[in-house]
Amino acid sequence: MTAAWYVALITFKEGIKGRVIFGIFIIALLLFAATTVVTTLFMRDIVKVAVDLSLSTVSFAGLLTLFFIGVNLFSKDLDKRTIYMVISRPISRPEYLIGKFMGIVFLSLLVVVFLGILSSVPVIMSKRFYYYPEAKFDWGIYCVAVIYIFIKLAVISAVITFFASFTSNSFITFILSLVAYIIGQSTEGVRLLLASQVEKIEVSPVLSYVVDIAYYVFPNISAFDLKTQAAHGLSINYSYAFWTALYAIFYITIAIVIGALIFRRREFP
Amino acid sequence: MAIISFNNITKNYKTGFRKQKTALMDFSLDIHEGEVFGFLGPNGAGKSTAIKLLLNLIFPTTGKAEIMGRGVAAREVKKLIGYLPENPYFYDYLNPIELLSFAGRTSNMDSLKILEKTESLLNTVGLWNERKRAIRSYSKGMLQRVGLALALIHDPKVVILDEPMTGLDPIGRRQVIDLILKLKSEGKTIFFSSHILEDIERVCDRIGILVNGRLVRIMDIKSESLTRPLEDIFIEEVEKAGGARE
Repeated sequence: MTAAWYVALITFKEGIKGRVIFGIFIIALLLFAATTVVTTLFMRDIVKVAVDLSLSTVSFAGLLTLFFIGVNLFSKDLDKRTIYMVISRPISRPEYLIGKFMGIVFLSLLVVVFLGILSSVPVIMSKRFYYYPEAKFDWGIYCVAVIYIFIKLAVISAVITFFASFTSNSFITFILSLVAYIIGQSTEGVRLLLASQVEKIEVSPVLSYVVDIAYYVFPNISAFDLKTQAAHGLSINYSYAFWTALYAIFYITIAIVIGALIFRRREFP
Repeated sequence: MAIISFNNITKNYKTGFRKQKTALMDFSLDIHEGEVFGFLGPNGAGKSTAIKLLLNLIFPTTGKAEIMGRGVAAREVKKLIGYLPENPYFYDYLNPIELLSFAGRTSNMDSLKILEKTESLLNTVGLWNERKRAIRSYSKGMLQRVGLALALIHDPKVVILDEPMTGLDPIGRRQVIDLILKLKSEGKTIFFSSHILEDIERVCDRIGILVNGRLVRIMDIKSESLTRPLEDIFIEEVEKAGGARE
């Protein structure tokens, strides 16, 4: 596994030295500035709006990092045949795949830590300038929400890694990962809606079945969203947090193991 | 003793639904220790396919490739190989020092040894003064030289070079030839493909001519004195085998 570690480091270095990450940081900084301005347009719940927008910015920047840098870090190796230089060394295909995944996760960790810290600025400003005593806010819950953004990004990194294990160009990896993300973001909501059995609306069993399959196959991205809890200062159910983290570990392991098994037999002509 | 062995290898590629192309056909070849073996063939003959099989980048349909009697997938075997791909491409934003450090570490070299080898190799390929520049700003010839340094950082026993002269100016070509001769004097086994017959003639002990996936001739050009230019022999063999297929 040492070889995977070296692949992770070189992937991380390549990602951080590129220009795209600076572009993402600039977009995030602009969004933080916009958050500060936008919150002034609200009459109440200003801290709630600031928390919601700040956390959304961290999540959005993380997603941009994965879809525009992460996907590219994988696909460029295959498109430009840089992989020859790696695989011809004492590095197995599974080690390469795991190393790439780890490198992308390190990159998203950097983005979340850096922007997570910066995201506190609009929140602090809104708390200081628009103080109202009934507002509930807890920095501990805010930090947990930031950590769960990172866990969500790690799961999406695993999805990208899985698709990159068999696709041959960046566009296909990008589209498949984006579709998986969109489905993963909405299946829980759709499933709950179908289960609620709205009066006069008949749901076909086939549709329920398809939604159930999508729910189990695609990652449940919405489960990692703790923005509402952080914005309203609601306490987090520890059991929920634990099982969600365990679900993430399980999903990542399955995606990487299947990806590695596919990649093991992949040829690079 | 054969260091590199191709044993009855056939390699088919899928080119469409139910369609396939045979890149190598019942290909067998032994390359001995300390030998410089030149691999000749027209475009599309299967030279790169043979090299990629040796590096486990692709898998044979039938047959087996071995290095020092072991399958090419083994980690210990990969430690013995230094490889320069045709048209090498590396990580854009890294510099040669970072790349060579990666290569050295994956071959279990310690930091001090990596630093020493990096300096000596970058000096040999004439890139020491450019060592801090990101590789994306390098010319094709410079990339080729980085690739050579990368192939040699871990002092491999077997050096495999796929078209090492591509993109090099006459000075660069000369440096590569000198490097191959130096490696030969150190007892390394070198297997390389090239279109430049003059270079092949200068450095190789033996050559193999591959046409349409078949090895049509092996010549010992150091002991057999060539009565005709290698170019004539090469063209004759290609024509005898039915011409080149693109």
